[in-house]
Amino acid sequence: MVPVSIQVRQALSKLVLPVLLLMSVGIIIAGQADRPLADRARMRVADVLAPLWSLLSRTQTDSERLVHGLKEARNLSEENHRLSTENANLRRWYEVAVSLARENDTLKTELHWVPEPTPAFVTGRVVADSGGIYARAVLLVAGTTSGVQTGNIALASSGLAGRVTEVGAHAARILLINDIASRLPVELESSHAAAIMVGDNSPLPRLLYYSQDTRPIEGERVVTSDQAGAFPSGIPIGNVHYLHPGQPVVQPFARLDRLTMLRVFDFGQSEIEPPEAPGHVPLTRPHRALTLPFKTLLGPGQEG
Amino acid sequence: MSDPRQPRWEHDTETQLTSRQRLDRTARHLLPSVFTALVIIFFSAPVSIPGSAELLPAIVINTIFFWSVWRPSGMPSLAVFLLGLFMDLVGFTPLGVSAFILLLVHGIGSYARFGLMRMNFLVVWCLFGLVGAAAAALQWALACLFRLHLLDPAPAFFEALLCIGVYPLLSATFSWFLHILDEKDTP
Repeated sequence: MVPVSIQVRQALSKLVLPVLLLMSVGIIIAGQADRPLADRARMRVADVLAPLWSLLSRTQTDSERLVHGLKEARNLSEENHRLSTENANLRRWYEVAVSLARENDTLKTELHWVPEPTPAFVTGRVVADSGGIYARAVLLVAGTTSGVQTGNIALASSGLAGRVTEVGAHAARILLINDIASRLPVELESSHAAAIMVGDNSPLPRLLYYSQDTRPIEGERVVTSDQAGAFPSGIPIGNVHYLHPGQPVVQPFARLDRLTMLRVFDFGQSEIEPPEAPGHVPLTRPHRALTLPFKTLLGPGQEG
Repeated sequence: MSDPRQPRWEHDTETQLTSRQRLDRTARHLLPSVFTALVIIFFSAPVSIPGSAELLPAIVINTIFFWSVWRPSGMPSLAVFLLGLFMDLVGFTPLGVSAFILLLVHGIGSYARFGLMRMNFLVVWCLFGLVGAAAAALQWALACLFRLHLLDPAPAFFEALLCIGVYPLLSATFSWFLHILDEKDTP
């Protein structure tokens, strides 16, 4: 230490605070003038402290988990009782289900039921499709090399999404059910009445051409119908919802605006039938009975 | 250290201390600063303590005020400056603002310490309340100045209230701590 007189030392010690105050003001100004520098300094400090912080936050998480575990342990017997009751209930339902399945099998055997073929499917990733001739269509990374064909049916995780309209070697375009070009025969599940679901480029496709004595009921499930032969029946589409009185729409189960993956099912039909012109009587095609093996309208013993 | 043969200007008994005692003294002097640094680290960690953003400046201002008044050797100006800078670097206040405010608090504390030490606890608390409120207001004003628009004063108000409310608790803890230290000092 440099030997200095007491007076000088006292004066110096009195000077420290004003000098530091001035320095902090200088730092404020410098930090405002050169923000990147301040941010870099901040990041460096944060880098050094990151392990400490993670230790602290992990300790907190652990202690919270411990407290939660203790709380759960207190309710354990109650929970156990509830679960065993529920388990007994479920076991009863299991027995019911098994006997029903067995009965169903027996009945099917009695009726010479033709089993529906298990459809083959491929899953592909959706890449957004901005071009193309449709307004609501997506491009799927799965093409003819993976067995996708025109007319196949694309399902999202929760319901029908659309149909394959064009196929390339590695990609397929899928026309979504809310496109303005999409018209599907559907069935209202509770009344089994037929209707046509018409897309209008809005998120909610409309229901048209339902019979006036069986109007769609709010909240009713809408499933596909096999009327035109393009779809197998019973694929869930959505729920009926009335936007205005007399204007039923379908709220699709599939989230059509944020599709990420689609499964493309090949149900055995190879073509989409075009909508028939009114008054035009379609000719029955001879191969039609062969291409619809699973939902036959023929009586038992007559198929094949 | 200076050469022992040279005449020393300090007439204290520093030279007679053993290294262990010196270490003890250093630790004692550093303790408030280290405590404050740990508090800053703890409260800036991503732990979900309600109101931690307002509680941290309140505790730091309390600690610095207390030690500036009662034991300035434990809280030198340089330590205050560094702590404020550290707080700025760790938090989101503009760089240097906390250092400035904490230095002001420290300056007021050490300037008025001989008056404050003679006063009743309640009076000191009231005076400290003024200081804490002023610090919160200054912080709010500086934040407004740097953002160039009027910010919501509610957090600053909350911080001032926390600052005042936390004082008795921290003051009692620190007093107890000082008492223990002094007892150890004079066996």
